[in-house]
Amino acid sequence: MGRNVIFSPKKVFMSKKRTTNLFWNQQQKIAPYLFIAPFYLLFVIFMGYPLVSSLVMSLYEMRGFQSRIFVGIGNFTDLFRDPIFWKSLRNTAYFAVGTLTLQLPIALLLAILLNSKFVKGKNFLRLAFFAPVLVAGVFVAIIFNLVYDQRAGLVNQEFVLFGKEIGWLNEEKYVMPAVILTGVWQWAGFNMIYFLAGLQGIRQELYEAAAVDGANWWQAFIHVTLPSLRPVIAFVFVVSMIGSLQLFDLPFILTNGGEPADAGSTIVMYLYKNGFQFMRLGYAATIGWVLFFIIAVISIVQLKLLGIFRDE
Amino acid sequence: MFRLPIDSESFPLGKGPMVMLILFLISTLFIFGRSEEKGENLEFWIFANTHYEEYQARVPIFEAQNPGVNVQLINFGGTMHDKLLAAMLSNFGAPDLVEVEITSIGRFLKGAIDEVGFVDLRPRLESEGWMEKLVVSRFTPWSYRGRIYGIPHDLHPVVLLYRDDLFKAAGVEMTEVETWNDFIAAGKKATRDLDGDGEVDQYAIVLDRRTESDYFSLLLQQGGGFFDEEGNVIIDSELAIETLEFFTALFNEHKIATPVYGTWHGDPSNFAAMQDGKILSILAPDWYVGILKSQVPQMSGKWKAIGMPAWHPGGRRTTTRGGTMIGMTKQCENPDLAWEVLKFTYFDRPGLVNRYETTRIIPPLKSAWDAPIFKEPDVYLGGQPLGELFIRLAPDLPPRYQNPYWSEGADLLNDAIFAAVTGKQTPREALTDLAEKVRALIAKDVGRWGEM
Repeated sequence: MGRNVIFSPKKVFMSKKRTTNLFWNQQQKIAPYLFIAPFYLLFVIFMGYPLVSSLVMSLYEMRGFQSRIFVGIGNFTDLFRDPIFWKSLRNTAYFAVGTLTLQLPIALLLAILLNSKFVKGKNFLRLAFFAPVLVAGVFVAIIFNLVYDQRAGLVNQEFVLFGKEIGWLNEEKYVMPAVILTGVWQWAGFNMIYFLAGLQGIRQELYEAAAVDGANWWQAFIHVTLPSLRPVIAFVFVVSMIGSLQLFDLPFILTNGGEPADAGSTIVMYLYKNGFQFMRLGYAATIGWVLFFIIAVISIVQLKLLGIFRDE
Repeated sequence: MFRLPIDSESFPLGKGPMVMLILFLISTLFIFGRSEEKGENLEFWIFANTHYEEYQARVPIFEAQNPGVNVQLINFGGTMHDKLLAAMLSNFGAPDLVEVEITSIGRFLKGAIDEVGFVDLRPRLESEGWMEKLVVSRFTPWSYRGRIYGIPHDLHPVVLLYRDDLFKAAGVEMTEVETWNDFIAAGKKATRDLDGDGEVDQYAIVLDRRTESDYFSLLLQQGGGFFDEEGNVIIDSELAIETLEFFTALFNEHKIATPVYGTWHGDPSNFAAMQDGKILSILAPDWYVGILKSQVPQMSGKWKAIGMPAWHPGGRRTTTRGGTMIGMTKQCENPDLAWEVLKFTYFDRPGLVNRYETTRIIPPLKSAWDAPIFKEPDVYLGGQPLGELFIRLAPDLPPRYQNPYWSEGADLLNDAIFAAVTGKQTPREALTDLAEKVRALIAKDVGRWGEM
């Protein structure tokens, strides 16, 4: 036996109201996700999918345009036995260390100079030091090809060596120093801007208090400036390290593909060669993932050492 | 007065988003709204500026002769090969016709024969009788496993370009040099310390020890190569080892060669050394003479040319370096029309004469060689008819067999040459190691996929 259903207009009204409220409540919850959806959609399509795809690709090897075969961790074991990979890794590490030990102190020094009261024409100098970063890496490499010119280059002739013919891009031992010096020219001004912003954010009272305590300039620098700059230094260190490990265009053009004897080869250059010149896409994807892990580990270690994860 | 039917103030979120929306709509229209030109459309990708300029001038003539045909020329420069690789990998977006550089073609030949993204042009070449009309050895860089994937744009024969004035000043008449032994004897006289400061001021020859370019040219002249016709690695053959020993000896034993200044022969540094009289000779393909003319015009009249010294009396006096092919991709929807464009750009006599005029490139089409321009005196070479010399040498060009592993092999060969010249390894060790590495690479692929 069925129950008698009595039509009630009040009930219908209440139910409609509840549905509208429910929709409104849900809409409020959904709306933020809809607003950020474009970013995530693009991220998934252009970043997430290629990432997963390249990880899968690193477990395969390709030959030709269609043949691919599952090799498991074969590409990884091959890579760790590949002397050119290790040489490229050494060169990349050499550049990274050179960048951190040469470029960042120079950037900090420039920032301190431009932050002092004694330097005139600060705006012009800021622009001048920052300008090289506006030049594309390819053009920087072309310019420095002329600067390092063995016969008539600026470095060998008028500027430093007064006619001594050093094959900056021709002799193994000089290639990476040449690339590092070029990197300094291009990026020191850029990092200087970060340090300058950090220096301008340090409260003047700290220096005044240090002066009252009898601190000289050096002591104030060590005990006030550097600790206050710690977050900026950490940021610049990590970003510079990541940029250094991803080095490609500068040595590729400067050394005409890493020669002589792979002295200018870097990890990303070796990745490019394997992927595009040798058509070994699986191996190239493997190099990419190994580089990813190297960058991740080094960045975490750097941030830990610089105390970024520490609670203040 | 005309007013937009939209009130920017009442637009949701104001003027900024409205401007962004309008810009978005305009760019969308540009991207997706471009209508295809009516008629037959063909896309032709190029990587070399000089080639692009030539076709820009020539293709309108073809279009005028063939109403309704539109040939779109796209010059991607140095990145073209990577773009072509991506288009072939995705099986989408490749052009109908494309020019490919000789050191880049190997990567496109990997995999099963049917996977190669180029059309085999042998049937068309043979049925129309073009094979006999072109220099046959010049098909080898563009052929693999019996198929011809490209038509040669050039021959690139190599001559010995030398400073006649400076060799004569050293008491050497270069026209009498016939063999490499003669050259070494002449080079020892001409390599000199002019000011007595203990440093050599002029070297008989400049050679590239960073890359395979000069060594491989010499090896080809000897009749050797990296791979043979069947694809076997022969870079550790006695011929290859002897050639590297000779190459190394020019630097270290005879001391008549200087390493290239800068990163390659076309480096401004190298040109500066030439102008300073530091370099007395260079192995020069036809295209390099074109570069010299445009980059160092002030040296006009200072150079002369002879055929390369032979390895044995009466032997081959030339080799080949560099090259470009034109190929038709399998994504081409109108192969017959593409073939007509190809023939117009590569086999048309007036076009080939024009090519020589602007770039000094000798065409592979033998019937074009009797054009008067090739016999004309060349002012840059003090009136010597350079075209005539190149054409005399052209029929003797050595074959250069192509292989899918050329890129990997060449990369390792660069290291081997540098190691041998700098004394880190003997030529035999360097080439034996190299051959083992490349054989291991091939064996690994064969192990995975089997013979292809």
